[in-house]
Amino acid sequence: MSKLILCMVLILCLACSGDETNYVEISENKILDFPQPDFFPQPVYNLEENPPTEKGFELGKKLFYDGKLSSTGVISCGFCHVQEFSFTHHTHEVSHGVDGALGTRNAQPLMNLAYLEEFSWDGAAQHLDAFSIIPITTDTEMNETVSNVINKLKSDEVYNELFAEAFNNGEVNTQNMFRALSQFMVMMVSADTKYDKVLEGNSVFSEEESAGQSLFEAKCASCHEGILFTDQSYRNNGLSIDLRYNDIGRERVTGLEEDKYKFKVPTLRNIMVSLPYMHDGRFQSLKEVLDHYDSGVESTQNLDPSLQQEISLGISLTEIEKNQLISFLKTLTDDNFLLDRRFSEF
Amino acid sequence: MKKIICLVLVLMLSVSCKDDDTLETTSIDISFANTINSQNIELSTGVYQTTLGESYSINELKYIISNISFIKEDGGIFTYPVEDSYFLIDEEVPSSKIITLENIPVANYSKIKFGIGVDQSNYPLNGVDNFVPTAEESQMLWSWSAGYIFFKIEGDYSPSGNQPDEGFLFHIGSHGTNLDNYKTVELSSNFGFNFTENTLVYINADIPKLFNAVYDIRIEDKSDIQVDPVNAPKIAENASQLFSSIPQNKR
Repeated sequence: MSKLILCMVLILCLACSGDETNYVEISENKILDFPQPDFFPQPVYNLEENPPTEKGFELGKKLFYDGKLSSTGVISCGFCHVQEFSFTHHTHEVSHGVDGALGTRNAQPLMNLAYLEEFSWDGAAQHLDAFSIIPITTDTEMNETVSNVINKLKSDEVYNELFAEAFNNGEVNTQNMFRALSQFMVMMVSADTKYDKVLEGNSVFSEEESAGQSLFEAKCASCHEGILFTDQSYRNNGLSIDLRYNDIGRERVTGLEEDKYKFKVPTLRNIMVSLPYMHDGRFQSLKEVLDHYDSGVESTQNLDPSLQQEISLGISLTEIEKNQLISFLKTLTDDNFLLDRRFSEF
Repeated sequence: MKKIICLVLVLMLSVSCKDDDTLETTSIDISFANTINSQNIELSTGVYQTTLGESYSINELKYIISNISFIKEDGGIFTYPVEDSYFLIDEEVPSSKIITLENIPVANYSKIKFGIGVDQSNYPLNGVDNFVPTAEESQMLWSWSAGYIFFKIEGDYSPSGNQPDEGFLFHIGSHGTNLDNYKTVELSSNFGFNFTENTLVYINADIPKLFNAVYDIRIEDKSDIQVDPVNAPKIAENASQLFSSIPQNKR
């Protein structure tokens, strides 16, 4: 009798225990340590909302290097964002897309994205998770639809497994795809340069580099500000208007006349390897860039006030000063990042 | 004796697993009707007049509805799961104009609230990324800005009120972080939205108000309004005034 009651009580206990006991963890999906450098600001990207995980990162990396994201099946994100050139399209003024189509802008480097407030040369994407819409759907880039990409991924067994492992709901959908790409990209933190080592007291600048640093702080750092070497503002730096593109810059996003010809101040980290320079890649070397600031600045609409000195335009620099600045900028190259196998295609 | 114990235990078993909250829920349908002078719109062929004397026809009319919530008399709010709350209303697609919401607690609501467009304040969180394919298929995405077009109308017009023969288009969305054109609409009803089983709520969009609800819009002044910090907010404001609710029917 008492056995029967015990038995029934046991059944009772089990009956309400829910599904949890049937749930079998397929495999552990570890949350990755975000490599926050001590002297960097707090990330803008919400790492709690979308914490990079081992599987999410792996999925994001596969997506990043997969031509499936384009209409022709051969243009991946990594096609224009090549790691050893700080994830830029080396030597291409403007980026190439499907069937050799030419874009109108120079691919921007990918690094320290967790610290950026807006994305693209004109700030067209306000969130990293939404950025990928632009290259995927632009006709001169990947020329694909997000819906098609999702369909292609859904019909791929490997992707089905990866999405299932990477995300709790396991679904192959837009949000998870963008989140995986973000997980891969926010882990790209570059903060291991000679400049950083000097900051940490583990290295010293040469005389030339030191002179360059002083010049930089006096003449460049008001825009290329702080540890990220950008104040993330939009400015017109006096480039002549290229009539082939007539790129109005930030105005395309805001519709404001006062934003015409303004572009995001780019970071200068890894600047030696991310040539060509400017939003349209018009300059092939840092020497050309400095020549522009010294003597090439044109008084176009909305020219930044910092480039309008009393009587002359731009920032006057001697040849010696230009060399010193370039020596300093060379200390911003992070070889460990450029060669980091975690981000490599192969 | 054994039988009684068994019976009691079986009864307990059946009771013990019932949810604590015995709230009843229902699914409801919300039907959007886009009308001009209380008539359905005749796409492409219908010719209509604005109060400023211009004539116009409509080839395309689409908008995004989001963030739906229901407010009770006592102020209690039921917010529909945000990630399931994005809908595209396309005048050309009849099925798009009836949206079905599941698991709404049965209650007498006095107000219904929804957004036109996508709330940028937490974009792209809340699952709004999953709405990208739908928006994209209907060309409601500005691909170069990674943002949604909230409200879109395209057609022809005539400044003098004759047969419309010049194109116009308004594509309204937010301009990056600079300008947020997301609007919320709150419709109250003195008869209440008494959601019981299979309720059907009618919402009417009186399209001519797009040209005069708050701001008078003369199409000739600017017949192509897209990323336009002066005119886009006016269209967005007018668009938020289009809607009214009609007493619901039980199906």
